[in-house]
Amino acid sequence: MLTLAHFLTLGALLFCISVAGIFLNRKNVLILLMCIELMLLAVNINFVAFSRFLDNMDGQVFVFFILTVAAAEAAIGLAILVVLFRNRSSISVEDIADLKG
Amino acid sequence: MAIVDLMPFSVLAPLIASGVVALLPGRFWPWAITLLAAIVATVIAALTLPAALESTLSYPFGNWPPPIGIEYRVDAANAFVALLVAGMAALSLPWAKVSIDREVPERQGAFYALFLLALAGLLGITLTGDAFNVFVFLEISSLATYALIAHGRDRRALLASFRYLIMGTIGATFLLIGIALLYMMTGTLNMADLAVRLPEVQHTRTVDAALAFIVVGMGLKLAMLPLHLWLPNAYAYAPNFVTIFLAGTATKVALYVMVRFIFTVFGGEYSFTVLPLAIVLMALGVAGMFAGSWVAMFQDHLKRMLAYSSVAQVGYMVLGVSLFSAAGLTAAFLHMFNHALIKVALFMAVGTIMYRIGSIKLQDIRGLGRQMPWTLTAFALAGLSIIGVPTTAGFISKWYLILAAAEAGHWWLVGLIVITSMMAVYYIWRVIEAAWMQERPAGSPAVREAPLALLAPTWLMVALNFYFGIDTRLTVGASTAAAEALLGVGGLMP
Repeated sequence: MLTLAHFLTLGALLFCISVAGIFLNRKNVLILLMCIELMLLAVNINFVAFSRFLDNMDGQVFVFFILTVAAAEAAIGLAILVVLFRNRSSISVEDIADLKG
Repeated sequence: MAIVDLMPFSVLAPLIASGVVALLPGRFWPWAITLLAAIVATVIAALTLPAALESTLSYPFGNWPPPIGIEYRVDAANAFVALLVAGMAALSLPWAKVSIDREVPERQGAFYALFLLALAGLLGITLTGDAFNVFVFLEISSLATYALIAHGRDRRALLASFRYLIMGTIGATFLLIGIALLYMMTGTLNMADLAVRLPEVQHTRTVDAALAFIVVGMGLKLAMLPLHLWLPNAYAYAPNFVTIFLAGTATKVALYVMVRFIFTVFGGEYSFTVLPLAIVLMALGVAGMFAGSWVAMFQDHLKRMLAYSSVAQVGYMVLGVSLFSAAGLTAAFLHMFNHALIKVALFMAVGTIMYRIGSIKLQDIRGLGRQMPWTLTAFALAGLSIIGVPTTAGFISKWYLILAAAEAGHWWLVGLIVITSMMAVYYIWRVIEAAWMQERPAGSPAVREAPLALLAPTWLMVALNFYFGIDTRLTVGASTAAAEALLGVGGLMP
């Protein structure tokens, strides 16, 4: 029998993976974007699970909002990366760190 | 028509205008309609404030009674912040016309549409009484802001924007996780309803975690010290007008959200006595004051210097919140308002310099005081305000912060506030020294004074700094009412 705890554990695991990804990733900025998406999805799992176990539909409505937001975020992030890539033909994190005035 | 029914229009006006502006060609009409929408929002916010000072206003959307429907719930605290946000937009837009014509020559309709979305989002965050709505509006304003920053002419603007996108999204997600945990414990998302239902479940670790997530998430958007890394670059490379607007509004709204959750939703009593939030916020606030001022002292890029100074000013505000008293919160709200005035004036002066000479490095403005006296004088006068010289707005908020620290018995904080103000003297003095005491480098082209279209709005902001440094009825009155409104709902104050 699946309980709320199972879903929350899954959400927490996804969250930890995404945080680890953001901190450990030293190569590719696309992975940064993916980690952020994963973080939002971890929250989604929580919302769906809460909604199911509270017998309250609100949580599932919110998931759609969050999905929209996540899509918009990825779109802007990728747009910035495309322009950047045109300028410097590289998308490694070291270049992103190169912000000294 | 009652003022309550007008309230949603301060969000709707910019939102509708953004759709119109996006389709308009040319350079004049997008700007004019943006200005009109900002003025409409400001007028509505100004009309709302007196009513909100007397009683809490509530506008239920679609006549669904809260907590089932979404409501706009406005008391003294958010009416004051809404007026600040809309007012700063309306005051900075006249400055924008000439500057944006230079910095974003093409597709200005899209640029102003993004600006209006950011404005609508910030106003929405401020007015709404629904926790999930806060997240949605936060994302509307943040996404628009990322795109606005990426408009900067320097290619590093893209990098700064991307970094802000990553950090800002993490901040928003943390806020969302906090809200999700609250939803799990109570099954509601209306803030007033949350405040009623939370005490029953307050002794669970879930609620502790929710508060922690929300404070960290908003700390990121607020640029509280260890989470401030996105701010200096975003401010330094964004178009000047975007920097002016962000410096005046974005961090203030994030602070408001943090304060609203800490005091209204969780209750000050719980946040500060059950959980050790006071010591955490105080330590981070003091560290921010010092580190921000310290780094600002060694910056040669003027916008970056002012950005680090913003990190320091955020430290003062967080310090005011951490005192957990009516006086401390009053000081935080006062500084929120006054710092917006100061930074908008300073960034306008710096933007004006950049408009004329194309650079704002310290070595490039040597001797500029004689060639652009009005601009540099405006910078110097606004600089007095950030230092906190009496008769300026900056003095009022620092004075109230010192009073609040003394009232709480933290005399050492008074000393720290004075020391960091001395550091502000140093970084403002470096600019004045370079502009007036040094000679213009040989061979540099002659520079004329900036056009009136840039100078007039700058001087208006400088004048407001002095006006609010002398006539404090509006600012102190509204800040006191805001502090009382926040402490009255959740925390029980002696």
